[in-house]
Amino acid sequence: MIPTVRRIVVRYSTFLILAALMLLFSLVSSRFLQVNNLLNIVDQSALLAIVAIGVTYTIISGGIDLSVGSVVALVGAVSAGLIVRAGLPVPVGILLGLVFGALLGLVNGLFVVYGRLQPFVATLAMMAIARGLTLLYTQGRPISGMGEAYTFFGSRLGPIPVSILVLLVVVLVSGTVLRRTPFGAYVYAVGGNEETTRLAGVAVSRVKLGAYAFSGLMAAVGGIILTARLWSAQPQAATGLELQAIAATVLGGASLMGGAGTILGTVAGALIMGVLANGLNLAGVSSYLQQVITGGIFILAVLLDMWTKRQKV
Amino acid sequence: MTTTFDLGALFRRFGLLIAIAVLVFGLALLSPQFLAVQNVLNLLLQATVNAIIAAGMTLVILTAGIDLSVGSVLALTAVITADVLQAGVPVVLAVVIGLGAGAVTGLVNGLLITLGRIPPFIATLGMMTLARGLALSYAQGRPITGLPDRFLLVGTSSMLGIPTPIWITAVVYGAGMFVLRRTVLGRYIYAIGNSSRAARFTGIPVRSATVAVYVISGALAALAGMILTARLNSAQPIMGLQYELNAIAAVVVGGAALSGGEGGLGGTFLGALLMAIIANAINILNISPFVAQVLQGSVILAALLLHGLSRRNQ
Repeated sequence: MIPTVRRIVVRYSTFLILAALMLLFSLVSSRFLQVNNLLNIVDQSALLAIVAIGVTYTIISGGIDLSVGSVVALVGAVSAGLIVRAGLPVPVGILLGLVFGALLGLVNGLFVVYGRLQPFVATLAMMAIARGLTLLYTQGRPISGMGEAYTFFGSRLGPIPVSILVLLVVVLVSGTVLRRTPFGAYVYAVGGNEETTRLAGVAVSRVKLGAYAFSGLMAAVGGIILTARLWSAQPQAATGLELQAIAATVLGGASLMGGAGTILGTVAGALIMGVLANGLNLAGVSSYLQQVITGGIFILAVLLDMWTKRQKV
Repeated sequence: MTTTFDLGALFRRFGLLIAIAVLVFGLALLSPQFLAVQNVLNLLLQATVNAIIAAGMTLVILTAGIDLSVGSVLALTAVITADVLQAGVPVVLAVVIGLGAGAVTGLVNGLLITLGRIPPFIATLGMMTLARGLALSYAQGRPITGLPDRFLLVGTSSMLGIPTPIWITAVVYGAGMFVLRRTVLGRYIYAIGNSSRAARFTGIPVRSATVAVYVISGALAALAGMILTARLNSAQPIMGLQYELNAIAAVVVGGAALSGGEGGLGGTFLGALLMAIIANAINILNISPFVAQVLQGSVILAALLLHGLSRRNQ
């Protein structure tokens, strides 16, 4: 029998780390816990959280998606380009951008499933290709002038940033799909033991394709939000975001071996990184030192997670 | 399980050679300057930094690990080396300090993985952020320029008409192949990659061998950083961004499996060479640099799909 306290610590370690960091920063700076600052943190973390939720699907299925940063940039550029250059209405441009993102994810899935490539290298190649396509499409220059219907997604609705509302919808939908649908159960099953799942009669290929397409779709949502916030599509946007997304997912308790992970955990993981950046800023720590501290805390958090999990057995 | 005559591996390596040969032939037809001695040397010179990092990465990947920190470690060790050089430390000692710093980061990676039991991807991802932050903090975000001439020779001198970095790369690959084929450590590395559990049961010191591999990877990243610094006459804390991905690409294009136990340095060298040839071709043929990444990504995909096909046809 495991004592209840320990079970709670193991199960909710991500949330405990988040709470501890928030407590720490609230002691460091009185501004930290102000409503506006907290909204800011969630607003700043929303992009990472949304993209990381997509990555979480691929990681639970036993894969990984390194292409999300490039897909964010490419979808941002293409949706902006369709509106600014081709003169399409904003909703159509956004919708086509989302479809395009899902298609890019689907291509990843096709390479993994039918090309039998390891997810790491297939999505690594997509990362290079999508970034290259972004540079080609934009000719290395930002695209701007999408209009207010587009930048709405980077603005505020009253006091609430729109990105937070989008994040809420994403969390609800992705959480429900993962927890309440057969597809969600299959994603866990495929990541847990692919062969057994196949033998149980599940169409493993389709589950994987779905996971990668969903990851592409989430990166596309992130691309729209980022482009709206910056009022322009930047060809170098979201470089390195894939690794942050994976870090958030891992902090959230997902296993890179597959079969484990939750949406709320991933959101908490993304919030940990947002809280760190915000709190260290308020504490006046230089951006260079922030990276050192972020890297250190990431390693410590994972060490702690590994250690608590080992106590179970 | 014999390592001396593995038909599949031979075929895959051969396939990559053929691809390179076809590419070289085509480029020679398209541009007469492609095969000029100067361009070939230049191409090899361009390949050295990635090739040296990829050599360390090969050992890591053979153990079924991965090292995402090499780009940041390259930058960190470069600014440390440049700084001690400017402080008047003799060149040889500065080089030793730089290599030592790289080895220490590798040691930390190795300990986190073996003692901390953190998956390599995550441990080195953390080190990647940490080392980049240290490099930026150490150099205060600014490049360190104006290094002693004797150090610059590492990147700019030639021996027998061949640039020194190419010699260094040759030594690294020669030594690496010797380690993999002729030493106990080499056999351990393959054994760990095939099955870490089985390796432990047969009495192989899995932990120390794994740590050794990450130490080597860190030191080689430092070596590559020195070559880059010497050629640029400047150490920049933002150097080496995404170099880890280039190195991993060279290793997998060279036929290694990320699941470990399969691959070798010969393949990795060809992989790094292929990537340098593409970069060189884009340069010579005046192709838009924007196409470069699309081309490189496509080539990686094509190479891997070919590997997969040849593997299935066994």
